[in-house]
Amino acid sequence: MNILVCIGSSCHLRGSYDIIQRLKELSAQENWGDRVQLGASFCLGRCTDGCTIKIDDEIITGVNKDNVEAIVKKALEERG
Amino acid sequence: MGKLYLESGWLAMNKAGEQLCGDHVETVNLEDSFIMVLADGLGSGVKASILSTLTAKILSTMLAGEMTVEDCVETIALTLPVCKDRGIAYCTFTILQVQKYTGEVYLVQFDNPDLILLRKGKSLDYPRQRREIAGKAIYETRLQGQIGDLYIMMSDGAIHAGVGTVLNFGWQLPEIIDYAQRIYTPELSAKSMAATISDACRDLYMGLPGDDTTIAALRIRQRQQVNLMIGPPMEKDQDEEICRDFFALEGKKIVCGGTTGTMVGRYLGQPVLTTLDYYDKDIPPIAKIKGVDLVTEGVITLARVVALAAQYVSTQIADPSWLTKQDGASLIAKMLFEEATNVNFYVGRAINPAHQDPNLPISLNLKLRLVEELGKYLEQMGKTVRTRYY
Repeated sequence: MNILVCIGSSCHLRGSYDIIQRLKELSAQENWGDRVQLGASFCLGRCTDGCTIKIDDEIITGVNKDNVEAIVKKALEERG
Repeated sequence: MGKLYLESGWLAMNKAGEQLCGDHVETVNLEDSFIMVLADGLGSGVKASILSTLTAKILSTMLAGEMTVEDCVETIALTLPVCKDRGIAYCTFTILQVQKYTGEVYLVQFDNPDLILLRKGKSLDYPRQRREIAGKAIYETRLQGQIGDLYIMMSDGAIHAGVGTVLNFGWQLPEIIDYAQRIYTPELSAKSMAATISDACRDLYMGLPGDDTTIAALRIRQRQQVNLMIGPPMEKDQDEEICRDFFALEGKKIVCGGTTGTMVGRYLGQPVLTTLDYYDKDIPPIAKIKGVDLVTEGVITLARVVALAAQYVSTQIADPSWLTKQDGASLIAKMLFEEATNVNFYVGRAINPAHQDPNLPISLNLKLRLVEELGKYLEQMGKTVRTRYY
């Protein structure tokens, strides 16, 4: 599974740094290893909807450091 | 040899508790030569400031008018006001003049610490001819300058740094030379060399300079162009044309902004590789595109570059710490302030629909203002700036 976090200007100001830190922590904690690839992306074009991430081909908006864990875990369950 | 670019920069620290600096640096940039004068007035505060300002101004203006050094020094001897307490009029000075077409260097020194010449990073001793003019013993030097030469002049505040506190005899000239040789790299600009030495002086004085301390440096270099693109064009069908023009330019290329990066990647047929590495949590990570020297985020990064530029042109603040940082803004600053002599801005005026949130400080206006401000600072640094809007 691929997770891209938007680091465009708008998402940066809304907290992509914290989301990335949280994802790195989770990756170590939960032993994701190769199952989950983390990456950054320039603007995903959804700036007004808050921090945006992309899990494989699905764009998810309104992400923050508190809800990112639930979002990613749900995606992991769905995709196995 | 081609026409040389003479890059200069200096830092002045006031004696602790003084509002004015008793040292003064004056530069004159002429068509065929560059003149730099550092003067250090007797005492400190307002009297010293008047003496040094007069001296530096008179010397640089008269030399720029092609008067002889005899005339200059005699004029000073007759002009300077005599100090009531000490009964003398006294101001030390160093004059450096470099010819842009031939690289000939003319140096006149009067009672300042000896100018340091670094050639290929090593201190080079040079001959001095003693002459007496208007009762003053001055030392004259003529030599052939080379590309890469770095000339460092200073007031005696530098060699007295730390005297009686952390050092018995102050920071003596051989030690300053040794330090300058150690921090030298071929890329280090005149300003950064001056700032780094000045910073060391401040440390030796433990933040409270016992004397006005000025370090001024001049570097002989070749012209080098750096190009920066920010923002896509207003008309989308111009993408191709703008990219073609930009990549036809000579010199290093910086691309700022996500949308701009994507457009450039498309033009070059290369993927935009982003990274997750934050060197500074306030500056978004940089990206990579094959064929571009540096790819960064746009407005937030540029705002930091402008802040660094404001600090860089100041002759009072020496904080060279950004020189070794790896975040996008510090990297842009290094290329624009340290490497470039000519800067080309390519500024797109497309409105980013994503930036229309009034709660976010990233509007188009802000971007245009930042570019304009940055351009002004770069001009103050002595660089030629051209801006193309599209």
